[in-house]
Amino acid sequence: MTTPGKPHQHPSADDPRIMLDDQIGQFEAVPPYPPRTEREAEFYSLRDGEMFLNMGPQHPSTHGVLRVVLKINGEQVVDLDPVLGYLHRGVEKLCENSDYHHIISQVDPLEYVSSLFMEWAPVMAFEKLLDVEVPRRAEYIRVLTGELLRVSSHVLFQGWMALDLGGLAPILYSFIERDEIVEMLAAITGQRMLFNYFRIGGVNGDLNHEFMSRLGDWMSRAAKQHEANIGLLNENEIFVRRMRGIGRLDAATALRMGASGPNIRASGVPFDVRRAHPYSVYPELEFDIPTRGGNGGGDSLDRYLLRLDEVSQSIRIIDQCLHNMPDGPIMARLPRLLRPRPGRAWAAVEAPRGLYGTYAISDGTDQPFRMKIHDPSFVHLQLVGLLMKNNLIADTMAVMASLDPVMGGIDK
Amino acid sequence: MTTLNRAWGHLTLTGKVVIPLLFLALVVGPIVTIFLATVVGPWLADVLGANPEIVRFVVAITGVLLFSIPAAFIIIYMELKVIAFMNLRIGPDRVGPKGALHSVVAGLKVLTKEDFTPTGADRLVFTWAPVIVFLTAVMVFLVIPFGPGLVGQDLNIGLLYLFAVGGMTVVGLLLAGWSSFNKYSLLGGLRSAAQVISYEIPLTLSVVGLILLAGTMSVYKIAEAQQGWFTDWYVFRQPLGALIFFIAATAEANRTPFDLTEADSEIVAGFATEYSGMRFGFLFFAEYVNVFIISALMTTLFFGAWNAPIDINSILARVGLSPVSVSLDPGSLGIGLLILLLVAPVLLTLIFAAPFYLSRSSRPAWQALVLGFLVFNLVGVMLLGLLAYIGWPWMAGLTWFMLKSFLFVYVFVWMRGTFPRVRIDQLMGFAWKWLLPAALLNLFVTAAAIIIVKS
Amino acid sequence: MSFIPGIGLVRGMGLTLRRFFQPKATIRWPEEKADVAPKFRGRLQLLYDEYGTLKCETCFQCAQACPIECIDMGGMDTKGRFHVHWGAAETYGERREESALRRSGRTVADPMYARYEAIDLAAVDEILELHDYDPKGMLAILEETQTAYGYLPVAALKHISRMTGAWYATIYGTATSYRHLRFEPPAVETAAPAGEAQRTIEAGYRSALDAALGYGGGRSG
Repeated sequence: MTTPGKPHQHPSADDPRIMLDDQIGQFEAVPPYPPRTEREAEFYSLRDGEMFLNMGPQHPSTHGVLRVVLKINGEQVVDLDPVLGYLHRGVEKLCENSDYHHIISQVDPLEYVSSLFMEWAPVMAFEKLLDVEVPRRAEYIRVLTGELLRVSSHVLFQGWMALDLGGLAPILYSFIERDEIVEMLAAITGQRMLFNYFRIGGVNGDLNHEFMSRLGDWMSRAAKQHEANIGLLNENEIFVRRMRGIGRLDAATALRMGASGPNIRASGVPFDVRRAHPYSVYPELEFDIPTRGGNGGGDSLDRYLLRLDEVSQSIRIIDQCLHNMPDGPIMARLPRLLRPRPGRAWAAVEAPRGLYGTYAISDGTDQPFRMKIHDPSFVHLQLVGLLMKNNLIADTMAVMASLDPVMGGIDK
Repeated sequence: MTTLNRAWGHLTLTGKVVIPLLFLALVVGPIVTIFLATVVGPWLADVLGANPEIVRFVVAITGVLLFSIPAAFIIIYMELKVIAFMNLRIGPDRVGPKGALHSVVAGLKVLTKEDFTPTGADRLVFTWAPVIVFLTAVMVFLVIPFGPGLVGQDLNIGLLYLFAVGGMTVVGLLLAGWSSFNKYSLLGGLRSAAQVISYEIPLTLSVVGLILLAGTMSVYKIAEAQQGWFTDWYVFRQPLGALIFFIAATAEANRTPFDLTEADSEIVAGFATEYSGMRFGFLFFAEYVNVFIISALMTTLFFGAWNAPIDINSILARVGLSPVSVSLDPGSLGIGLLILLLVAPVLLTLIFAAPFYLSRSSRPAWQALVLGFLVFNLVGVMLLGLLAYIGWPWMAGLTWFMLKSFLFVYVFVWMRGTFPRVRIDQLMGFAWKWLLPAALLNLFVTAAAIIIVKS
Repeated sequence: MSFIPGIGLVRGMGLTLRRFFQPKATIRWPEEKADVAPKFRGRLQLLYDEYGTLKCETCFQCAQACPIECIDMGGMDTKGRFHVHWGAAETYGERREESALRRSGRTVADPMYARYEAIDLAAVDEILELHDYDPKGMLAILEETQTAYGYLPVAALKHISRMTGAWYATIYGTATSYRHLRFEPPAVETAAPAGEAQRTIEAGYRSALDAALGYGGGRSG
C-alpha cells in the first residue's frame, strides 16, 4: 500500500487508516522478535505437520482473558504455552500507593469468585505488623463467611467444569445455588461479589436478622442439596469419560511445582494450610482433610470429586461456627490512620483454589512499602503445560477447568 | 408536457410514490389482467394440464421450501424455550406472546448484519459453501411423506436418495471450514468431515434391516406398510436398528452430544466462525432443518409415519359400527349455507359472551362480546379441525406426522440441554467399534429371522 | 443399575425433564423485582432520613477516602456564585474541560488535526459554504472534497467534522462505504481537473439540464 519511490512512513497511532505491511503474516502466533529463552526457541520451532492454534484472549471458556498458544499436530496438542497479562491491573502497585485500610478494596478483585479470602491474607499480615488482637467473635464470623464462600466457589467450579465440557445445564444450577449464598453474604456485607467486608482488626458488620434467617434456610437444605449435586454429573458416562485419566498429576510433580489446595490434595498429599500452618480459630474446629488419588496421582475426575468432598467439610465447619459463636465486639479499636512499625509479615490462608498468601513490607509510613501477593492459580496455570502432553485439544479445556484457575488472581 | 412537469414538481415525496402506483393499479392493472386472462391463461392451463406430474412436483417443491423456514423458526424457538426451562430459567419472553416471535426477529437480525468476506478467504467457495449446506438439507424433503398422498416424489430408491443427498452436507461444511482462512474453521470442518463419514456407515446399515423387512426402498411404501396399530410400527421389529439410527442421525446432524464441529467452548464456532449475516443464517437454518429431517426420518421409518397409534376404524368394525366418515359438501345446504354463514357467528358469539358477561358484574358489554368472539373462533377452529381430520385422510396423517416429528425434535433438544459433548477420538471410536458391529449384528439377525420365518 | 451402559445418561435426561416442570428461578424484571437486603450498598442513590431531608452533606469525605478515586462531586457553592468541583484530578482534567467547553458552544481551537499533513483548507471551506454546513449532504461534500484534493485528507475530514458538527467517526464511516472515495492520493496522477474547474463543469451540466427540463431558478427535491 505504499507508493513506489516514497519511503514508508509509519502513521501516528491515532490515524484511522490501517496500514498493514503484511496482511497475512500478522495472524501468526509467533512473536516478531527472535526467541529470548531456550523454552521459547523450543516452543516456536515447528516440526513437520504441526501448527499453532491460538486460543486467544477472547474465548468463550478460558476462565477469563487468557491466551493459550497450542502447538497442535492435527488434533493432538504437542505443546502448550499460556500467555498471561491480559488482565493485569497493577494491584500490587496500587496497594503500594494506598492506605492500609484502602488495600482491602484494592485486593478484592483478585479472585473475584472468592473475594473474602483475598482480603483475609493481607488483613492477617497487617494485623501481625500492628500486633492487633482480633476479637474471637470476629474470627468466628470470618471463618463462617469464608467457608460459605468456599462452598459457593466449589459449586460454581462444578458448573464451570461442566460448561467447559459442553453441558449447558449444570452451570445454571450452580448459579442458582451460588445466588442463594451470595444473597446471604450481601445481607451481612452489603455486596454480592466484591465484599470489602474484612477490616484490619475484625469485620465490618455484625450478623443480622436477615443473614441469620437466610443462613438457616440454606443450612436446612444444604446436606440434601449437596447429595443432589454429587449425583448430577457423577453418573453421566460422557462426563466421566471426558475427565477420567486426563491430566494425571502425581504427588512429586505437584510438590515440585508448588501446587496447593484441592489440586495437591487430589494427588494424594494431605496439605491444607488450615492444618499445616493454623490461623484464626481453625485449631478449635473439627474437620477432615479429604484426599484422593493416592496411587499414581490424581486426574481431573479426582480433582472434581475432591472439591465436592470439601463442600461437605465446609458445611460441617459452618455448623460448628454457628453453635460455638461467642459474644463480643466484632472489631478491635484501631486508629484511623495506621502506621505500623517497620517490618515484614507473611500470612497465608487456604483459599478455595489453594494457598493464598501475602508478604507485606512496611516502612513505618501509612502506606505499605511492598505487598507481594502469592496466588495459587498462578502456580496451577503453569501445571497445564506439564499435564497436557499428547492430549487432544478438547482435553485442554478439561484440564484447565479441573485446575480451577481464576484469571484475576493470575494476572493480578 | 410542461403542465405535467409542473404538476410533478409540485408533488411531495409521498405523492411521487402514490400517484404512479395508483396509475398502475387503476389503468395498467385491468389491461394486463384482461390480457392474461384471455390470451395467456388458456394456453397456460393447457400446458399445465398436459403435464400434471411437473405441476405437482413444482407445487410440492415450493410447499416444502416454504415449509422449511417456518419449521426452522419453530424449532429454534423450541430449542431456546425448552433448554431454558430445563435450566430453570424462562428463555425468550418479550418478543411476541411468550417470546414466540423471537426466532423470526432473529432471522431478520441475521439479514441486517454486515456480510463480509475475511481477508485471505477464497471468495467463491466462501460464498457457496453455506448454499450447499442448506440446499442438500432441503433437498431431502423431496422424499419424506408428510401424509398419505403428500409426498414430493415417490422415488422407488427413496432411502438411497436420502442418504446420498444428506451425506453431501459434509461437502458444504468442509468447504466452509477450508475457505474461511481460519485455523478454528479448518479444525471444525475437518472434525465434521471425520464425524459425518464415521457415522454414515452405521446410519445406512441400520436401515438395511428395515429394507429387508419392508421389501422396498421407497420411503412412501415403508410408511404405508406401518398402517394399523402401533404394534405394526417398525420400531418394535427393529429396536436395535432404531437405536443405532437415532444415535447415528444425531451425529449426522451435528447435535449434542456430537456437536464438536461447533463446540463453542473450544473452537469458538467451528466452521462457522468467520460467517456473519445471511451466510451464517443459511448455516444456522440448515442445522435446524437437519434436526427436523432426522426427526421426520425417525418418525417415518420406525414410528409409523402418518399413522395414528390406534386404528379407530378396526375397533368400530369389531363393535359393528361403520367407519366414521364425513362428507363435506357445503353446496348441498343451498340457501341454508347463506343463513348459516350470516347467522351462526353472531348467534354463537352472543351465546359464548353470555357467561363472561354474567360472571363478573364489572365487565363492560363490549369486552364480553370480544371474548365471546374469541371463544367462538376457538371453538370453530376446533370443530373445523375435527371435521377436516375425519373427512380428509391426508389431514389426519399430516397431523400425526407433525406431532410425532416435533416430539422427536423435543427429544433432540432435550438431549442438547442435558449432555456434554464427547471428544473426537471417543466419538470415532464409538462409531467404528460399537455402532458398526451393532448395525452388522442387527442386519444378520434380521436376515436370519426372515429366512427362518419364511421357511 | 450402573452396569447397564448408558443408564447414567438416561438418568441425566430424567433429571432435566424433572427440572422442565419445576418453577423457574428467573425474576422477570421490571414486572417483578428481587428483594434486596437492607444492608445492600449497591444502590446508586442518595438516602433520605426519616424527616425527608437528604442525608448527604457534601462534606467530600467519601471522595477523599475513595481508594479508586472514582467519586467526583460538583455543585454550586453555598452563595450560588460558582461551580465547585471535588474529586480525583483526572475526572475533571483537560478532557472534561474540553468537552465542557464544547458543550458550552464556544469554539475551541482544536489543533489535533495539525498532526496530520497540513493542507490548505480553503477549498474545504468553499465546499462547506456551498452546502450550507449541512451534514445531511455529506456524500456530496465528500465527493467534492475528493475532487478538490484528489483524495480525502484526514485534516480535511477533521475540518468538515468541526464545521458541520457531525462526528468524525461517522464521516469516516460514511466515506469507507463508498468505493469511489479514497483516503490515499491516487498512485497515478489522474487527469481529473482541479476543484474549481470541475465544479464549473458540473455547474455547467446542471444548468444545461435545468434548461432542458425547463426549470426556473431553484431546484426542488
